Amino acid sequence: MTTANPSFDTRGLADLLDASSQEQLDTLEFGVIGFDADTIVQRYNAVESQAAGLSPQRVLGEPLFTNVAPCLNNFLVAQRFEDAADEGSELDDTIDYVLTLRMRPIKVKLRLLASPGGAHRYVLVQRR
Amino acid sequence: MLPDDSPEQLRAEHEALIQFLYLAPVGLVQADLDGEIAMINPISAQLLMPLSPDGCLTNLFTALESVAPDLRLQCSQFPRAQGMVFEGLHIHLRAAEHSKRAPQILSLTLLKLDQARIMAVIQDVTAEVRRERQLRQSDAWLNAILTRISDYALVSIDRAGRIVEWNESIARVTGFGEHVIGSAYSVFYPPGAMTPEHLLDRLREADRNGWSLDEGLRLRADGSQFWCSALIAPLPDREAFGLDDPQAPAYALILRDISDKRAASEKRRQAAFCDHLTGLANRRAFFEAAELELDRAVHTPRPLALILFDADLFKNVNDRYGHPAGDRVLCDLADALRDSFRIVDTVARLGGEEFAVLLPSTSEGEALASAERLRALVATRLVATDMGEIAYTVSAGVAVLEGDARETGGIDHLIKRADQALYLAKGRGRNRVATWTSHLPANEDTPKRSRDAG
Repeated sequence: MTTANPSFDTRGLADLLDASSQEQLDTLEFGVIGFDADTIVQRYNAVESQAAGLSPQRVLGEPLFTNVAPCLNNFLVAQRFEDAADEGSELDDTIDYVLTLRMRPIKVKLRLLASPGGAHRYVLVQRR
Repeated sequence: MLPDDSPEQLRAEHEALIQFLYLAPVGLVQADLDGEIAMINPISAQLLMPLSPDGCLTNLFTALESVAPDLRLQCSQFPRAQGMVFEGLHIHLRAAEHSKRAPQILSLTLLKLDQARIMAVIQDVTAEVRRERQLRQSDAWLNAILTRISDYALVSIDRAGRIVEWNESIARVTGFGEHVIGSAYSVFYPPGAMTPEHLLDRLREADRNGWSLDEGLRLRADGSQFWCSALIAPLPDREAFGLDDPQAPAYALILRDISDKRAASEKRRQAAFCDHLTGLANRRAFFEAAELELDRAVHTPRPLALILFDADLFKNVNDRYGHPAGDRVLCDLADALRDSFRIVDTVARLGGEEFAVLLPSTSEGEALASAERLRALVATRLVATDMGEIAYTVSAGVAVLEGDARETGGIDHLIKRADQALYLAKGRGRNRVATWTSHLPANEDTPKRSRDAG
């Protein structure tokens, strides 16, 4: 990994994140939620924790789309991950979305990352 | 014990409260009287984001505009300073576009808190409404038998659906004589209302559920038709009649003439399952019919054909003659479709100028011939409007599912293929029919968008 922090739209970001320590994730300027094939949250960084008002221990180990971010459980987000998994294909989409962080609608860009061989899938959150 | 008011304790409580709201399984929104959102929880975003025309959630009324256009008005006209504006309003979505699991019906409750604020509760009630409908159907049947016992025909049929015995009641209700023994019970159905596969489907449904009920036009021996409620129930202890004898009675079929109740039950159906403009089946009815047909195909594979029709250059018609004239054209196309297909086919308007016909137990060749017949028919028609007579044409895409539909991707897959074929027909100059073949480029998204051009 290079010394410069990767940005939200860096190419091949999933591999960099997989290789990052928790401390490195916490220095990033965008939110990182990493989860496994069963949608269980495995990685959660400081920016996201602060914006959502939830400490990592409330989030890690919980299913993402039902217990952490139900607002993403629709065809715009959750289904994209499902479809990619079903088709065994690569997912790297960036979409405009609205998150309800601390009950306020916040416009964000979401980058959705998944690859058949990757350790984690990621939802990355950039405030617009 | 005194409550701990330390900042740590308050922070922990605040976080727990935030999470409580994050996880609440209903959508909650607080907004001002113009719909500007002040607070909103995640389930609301889950349900509203797919609807939101501008991809924002700044305004509740804007987010729901495409499916419930008069919320702003209802809210502003609410006469009292506070109170329930409405409770549990059902909003039907233009669903199933993206996923079978996507919600189809939302329930919306709107509460006016004071002169400046409203609170909305939003829920996905699709599954609940579906269950209620099933209950209502059984209720309707019980009502029908219990409240007004009129005449009925009782027919014994064997495992293959053939009539085993004749009795007086059959003659009274249908006029058929003893020669009807040995015929399949489809003899009571008008032409085009039954396929050999459906005949057996109903028997299997009766095995599985204890009964199978349907309502529709039935045929008397003299060719006249009556509105009938037909129940098939497995005979109790039928094993005792002999498992080896294929001609032993296995089911009771009860036919009741309910012509006098037709108006009421049709009206109920129409409200829920018909497209307002054309009177054809709506999206919901189409997808339910498709689901049922695919379910049945799991037990007994049979081909299922889909034809997508699209009025050519329809935007030009609207631009040139106006929307009322455009609507006349759509109604004319709907009439042509209705007259051209069998009763057993589902003819639906999926939206705009896009129509679909689902043809059970139909091969590609047959579907293609039907589509071509309709295309040729339309090309000869003129629609009278206030703006003069309008000629129009349609293009069609045909696709057929063979074998186990579940494995091949179900109805979405079939629609995608028919859509690709339709796209091809448009590309070849319109006013034509194309069939899906494996050589067609599997363009995931292009057809829908590009076809907007007509």
